[in-house]
Amino acid sequence: MGRSAQGDAATAEVARKRQQQEDAAILLVHLLISCANAIQAGDYAAATSNLAAARTALATTVSTAAGIGRVLSHFAAALAQRLIPAQHGAAPNAASSAAHASELYRQFYEAGPYLKFAHFTANQAILEACDGCDRVHVIDLAIMQGVQWPSLIQAFSLRPGGPPAVRITGIGPPPAADGSRNELQDVGVRLAELARALNVPFSFNVVTADSLDALKPWMFQIVPGEALAVNSVCQLHRLLVDQDAASTSLPSPIDAVLGWVTALQPRVFTVVEQEADHNKPTLVERFVNALFYYAAVFDSMEALSAQRLALTGRPAAGGLGAEAYLQREIFNIVCSEGSGRVERHEPLVLWHARFWRAGMWQMPVGPSALGQATALLRTFSGAGFRAHECGGCLSLMWHDQALFTSSVWRAAPPTNTAAGDSILDKQADNGKSSSGSSDHHQAAAAPGGIAMK
Amino acid sequence: MCMGGPPAPPRQEENEPVLEVRVQLLGGGGAHNINDNADILSEILARLDGRSLAAAAGVCRLWAAVSRRDAVWEELCLRHVGPASGPAAAGHATRTVVAALGGYRRLYRLCLGPALDRLGRAGALAHAQARERLSLSLSLSLFSIDCYERLGGAGGGGAAGRQQPPSSLLFLCKPVDVS
Repeated sequence: MGRSAQGDAATAEVARKRQQQEDAAILLVHLLISCANAIQAGDYAAATSNLAAARTALATTVSTAAGIGRVLSHFAAALAQRLIPAQHGAAPNAASSAAHASELYRQFYEAGPYLKFAHFTANQAILEACDGCDRVHVIDLAIMQGVQWPSLIQAFSLRPGGPPAVRITGIGPPPAADGSRNELQDVGVRLAELARALNVPFSFNVVTADSLDALKPWMFQIVPGEALAVNSVCQLHRLLVDQDAASTSLPSPIDAVLGWVTALQPRVFTVVEQEADHNKPTLVERFVNALFYYAAVFDSMEALSAQRLALTGRPAAGGLGAEAYLQREIFNIVCSEGSGRVERHEPLVLWHARFWRAGMWQMPVGPSALGQATALLRTFSGAGFRAHECGGCLSLMWHDQALFTSSVWRAAPPTNTAAGDSILDKQADNGKSSSGSSDHHQAAAAPGGIAMK
Repeated sequence: MCMGGPPAPPRQEENEPVLEVRVQLLGGGGAHNINDNADILSEILARLDGRSLAAAAGVCRLWAAVSRRDAVWEELCLRHVGPASGPAAAGHATRTVVAALGGYRRLYRLCLGPALDRLGRAGALAHAQARERLSLSLSLSLFSIDCYERLGGAGGGGAAGRQQPPSSLLFLCKPVDVS
């Protein structure tokens, strides 16, 4: 009798503690949002006091070791940075910061299925679109460390009928002036070695540019007859600008880039972007949206590393790097303005309208795409992650929150030569007419559906 | 060599010495030893699960050599991939690709084994169900990424001085710099 009463008391205590922590976290969220509000209103005194209260909470009532407190501490730090920009000493060495960024990217790649989902779904779309072609040319808007391409090369190597000749053009930043290792060349060398081992005819080109909108179609040396694929993983949002900055006579960077991509007439344009609304003009809206988005991402990463710990008995390496990678995004969204803000994530519905205006047509993902993405996620992660298909696109979901969306586009209007194309014709008709459609993506593309600048 | 019937597949947690004794008994006496014929040993070891096969390498030199044969691991891998992988999964082309990427033993250790572990723990899946969910093409995708990362040397740092590869193998055009 006494023991069960003790058990009840213990359970009640645990429940009460959890409620306390939840309340503390909610209070902290309110403090941070109030701080953002105050900054937006120009009331720096109120902002500072809110931030001080938030910091107290982080030091006392809300644990920053794990859970919501961890991501909230990043947002608090971002607000602090915005209020009082830290004075840096000498500017960080360009090469070392590039190497650092590269390492963070690698750790983020390892830490979860996010980039793997992006690469895998894009590769599947490229494989399907280039089926039967003898020569395939892939243009990667940001080759990074080239990790997307080994599995495409391998898939081509086992293609029934033999591999096509594969050509990859990697776009990247110019090599650092101090003569440090040229990462782009290294990527080419390694991809070529892999292709050689797999007996896939292969060549690699590099196009370096500080910004994508300076590029022109002739720079890619397109060979007639090659099947062209353009690939963009989390790059297009970096081209967006503030509304007022976009009202000059020059085309905005995103329109310039979509212009030359369309002019290239690729067989397939694979796009993966964060499924988030972080490009709102007001700080508070961005802040709140980002808070919920990154809370989901951090939550998923934490679940993954707990799972790894349970499976292998060792904590996963590189978790901190992945967190630092995300922290950079958070800081950019919260602290930067104007041309400094590059993490301008927008949801698919807005991208859809942009692509439509640029003359692109959406290609729905194939029937097996969802199953394959699901299989990929199951391999990497336990419960929680899933692939979701909506309107012909694939999203990576953490529970009910979409984190990344992968979509496929082509420039030319589809020809009515194959059974698969008739779906595209139907979509094209839906897009042209302004009658209501149950597919919200199509509705967004209808004339007057979204007021774009 | 007459065995009096195929040996029963050993249970997962069976100790190796017990396996040897069972086979000798089936052989009808002490005249035949499992270690007499490496190919027969190979046939038997190919029926083990991954963990047991890895443990078999520690029994003796012969077992170490045989259990490291890639063909043994190939059988193990093919047993675990689902029917969706198709008949080509067991074909020559796949074998060539897997060999180029590092071999079936490595494929199992890096991709299939951990995936099976995860699926197994994910929620009391029956073995057959787990098998259906493993796709060879997915495993090969992951394997090719692993091979690529090994090509570069450790992590993002890379070796200090990479040797220039023979230029006949690559077509690295001069980068078009538009900065």
